[in-house]
Amino acid sequence: MDLHRVRRLALTLVASQLRSGRSSSDPNSLLGQPQLIAAVDVVLFLAVFGLSLEAVRASALGSHQVATLANALLPFLPLVAVGVVLVAGVMFELTATAKFAGSDAANWLPITPAEYVAASAAAIAYTYSPAVALALGVLLPFALFGGTLAAYLLTVVLTIVALFEGAVLVEMLRSATQRASSVGAGRRGQVTLILRAVVLVVVILALQLAFNPVFLLGLAQRLSAVGLVTAAVPFFWSTEAVTQWVGGSPALGIAFAVGQVAFVALLVYLAGELRVRYWVPAATEVRLEEHRYAARNPFLALLGLSAAESALVSKDLKGLVRRREMLPTLVVPIVLIVLVLVEGTTFGGFVSVLWVGWVAGFFSLLIAGTSVGQERRALQSLISYPLSAKSLVRAKAAFVLLPSLVVAAALGLVVGIYFRLSVGAVLGVLLLVVAVSVVLTFWGLVFASRFSDFQERPRPQFLRPGGMLAAMGSGMVLLFAILIPGTFALLSPSSSSVSIELVCALLALGIGGLAVLWTVTGFRRLLYELPF
Amino acid sequence: MVGISVESMVSPSPGTPLPSPAPTDPSTSLEVIRVSKAFGFVDVLYSVSFSVPAGQIVGLLGPNGAGKTTTMKAVLGLVRPDAGEIRLFGRNVVEDPVGTKRQIGYVPESPALYEFLTGAEYLDFVADMYGLDRATRRERIQQFLTGLELAGHENSLISGYSQGMKQKVALIAALLHRPRLLVLDEPLNGLDPRSARVTKDLLRNLAAHEGVAVLFSTHVLEIAQAICDRVVILHGGHVLASGTVAALRDRTGLAGRDLEEVFLSLTGTGDLRDVVDALSR
Repeated sequence: MDLHRVRRLALTLVASQLRSGRSSSDPNSLLGQPQLIAAVDVVLFLAVFGLSLEAVRASALGSHQVATLANALLPFLPLVAVGVVLVAGVMFELTATAKFAGSDAANWLPITPAEYVAASAAAIAYTYSPAVALALGVLLPFALFGGTLAAYLLTVVLTIVALFEGAVLVEMLRSATQRASSVGAGRRGQVTLILRAVVLVVVILALQLAFNPVFLLGLAQRLSAVGLVTAAVPFFWSTEAVTQWVGGSPALGIAFAVGQVAFVALLVYLAGELRVRYWVPAATEVRLEEHRYAARNPFLALLGLSAAESALVSKDLKGLVRRREMLPTLVVPIVLIVLVLVEGTTFGGFVSVLWVGWVAGFFSLLIAGTSVGQERRALQSLISYPLSAKSLVRAKAAFVLLPSLVVAAALGLVVGIYFRLSVGAVLGVLLLVVAVSVVLTFWGLVFASRFSDFQERPRPQFLRPGGMLAAMGSGMVLLFAILIPGTFALLSPSSSSVSIELVCALLALGIGGLAVLWTVTGFRRLLYELPF
Repeated sequence: MVGISVESMVSPSPGTPLPSPAPTDPSTSLEVIRVSKAFGFVDVLYSVSFSVPAGQIVGLLGPNGAGKTTTMKAVLGLVRPDAGEIRLFGRNVVEDPVGTKRQIGYVPESPALYEFLTGAEYLDFVADMYGLDRATRRERIQQFLTGLELAGHENSLISGYSQGMKQKVALIAALLHRPRLLVLDEPLNGLDPRSARVTKDLLRNLAAHEGVAVLFSTHVLEIAQAICDRVVILHGGHVLASGTVAALRDRTGLAGRDLEEVFLSLTGTGDLRDVVDALSR
């Protein structure tokens, strides 16, 4: 393996990601330099170190207690690092279009599969390193005051290894899901496409849950509780190494650490083999049934949509199921729903209604927020069609509301039935959840029409980061402003319930109305001039 | 044939105050009247004027970065001129964007199709955008699929198509609703020789028999010479020259030479021997 070549390729991959955004397109800008991430790491590390130092100093904890806390936390940091990279990788790396890593971009270069995997994994690990810098910054004062600096340094090394380990696993998954993407190549039928989507969703969902840090920590504790030796599982060797070190067995700790590094080297080799075997650079042909040309979808026509609006909705719904990069949008609510099903039994009725409303609202916000950016460069064609801003708004709103209202209604019913609410309360919950979905749909469209990202980039984003943060932050405030009083009024009826419900409805109507107006203005601006 | 247009041969120099747009000529399909556009501090178009009469194919030529694609996007209303006016059949493109877009068929330089749709689904989608009825769309789509040898592939996802097949889909999408103006940005890119020939002949027929106006950009000057009634040569955002190929030959004193030599002479890149020699070493 030529390490110079690996380093060069890794830096190029990082730079391509940083520069693919419009704001950092100037190659001389600091924002376009790979060193930016290192600078962010250092700033974050120092900032949280300072805060944590003050907190430890100000606390009444003795050095023994601080050491106990540090010894309890340090072993799990590498494990959490793997989880963070995997979860982020599944969301943002696996969905990247193949053209940035496929034959046209990389496979023709004189690099070996293992070199490509190592470079790409290094780029991924480096990209997500700020998360680890934060954790290390928090824990350093604990190590200093607790006198466990050596264990801390070992943790730092193993956490960096773990970052890389997570990234290599993402590369392996990329190859595997690339193969899954070609499921059905040369075969006929919509079933093929649905099967492909299901396979990808199941893979992403399983990984999201399996490598969720909370689940991982729980698993480690359960394994220990039933007397199983975590030392038998290579994924836990980092944890075992730090645990042995702080437990007074440094030699064993070093042995596990070396074992961990060797395991990651083995993973790199396997990832290279997987890339060779499962990477399919050639475009695959998927044939569907004979298309029946129709002037208008009858169901969508019933909703009052014109032929052009119906066509846009149908196109977007097909994209939601057929496009790889859209799958995380589907997976997020599924993960949330699964968490509701797993944890929901311990919730009370109030929390469950809030949770369900949150899932429905978040799903609407997410789909709406990404609904314009997912047009990518095809926006150029879309704008060239004779469509008015109002038509586009109606079509995009219908595209978001159709799936999200189904999710909202289903969740509302499940909660109502599970908690044996009265018919009136069930209808109230349904109404509340549907209202939240509608308001959050238009709230998402407000941001989608102004902050969409149409750039083709290695890690696709449909909304620019600033827009995403603003949409999520304001959306959540709005969501709970409607949801909390509404849920109170529904589940704890009192004399003031009616007035609270009225205020809730007025708030939803008012904000929803404003959002509709802002959305139309945003789409008019979008149609005014092509934003790229 | 229309002769060389003296007005459009020399654009005013930057900084010269621009007179107000000229009155509309009702006999032309498309009029681009002293259009200027800057992106940030970069002037991309400067007082560009030309027209495309009904039934004519006008070639928009120029080196890379000359402003051809920006001009075409401005015609479609995708780019707003900072100054000047664009009129389609007498209507201002900016004032009536939806109405004018109904009259235009557009093939972008790099067509971005919805690759998760099949070819047939995509064309059905485009037919909906222009409100074609079921019988018409089926008939036209089938004709085009057969004519461009895409029949048999229409039910496969576009993501599996070759570059040329995608280009054919983009061409069909532009022609489907029988537009009165075709704006084609390098439409023959990636087409096989047969399909390129079909497309060229079709454009000539549409112009000659249906009165369709065609604004056509290409870097292959043999094609421009073969099918364009007139050419407009853009250079650095200015109209360097416009007129028939014969008129441009006369102007450059290159009688009997082909359009490539005329073009290279006009853009000041005529003698390339030194460049080729240096690159060959």
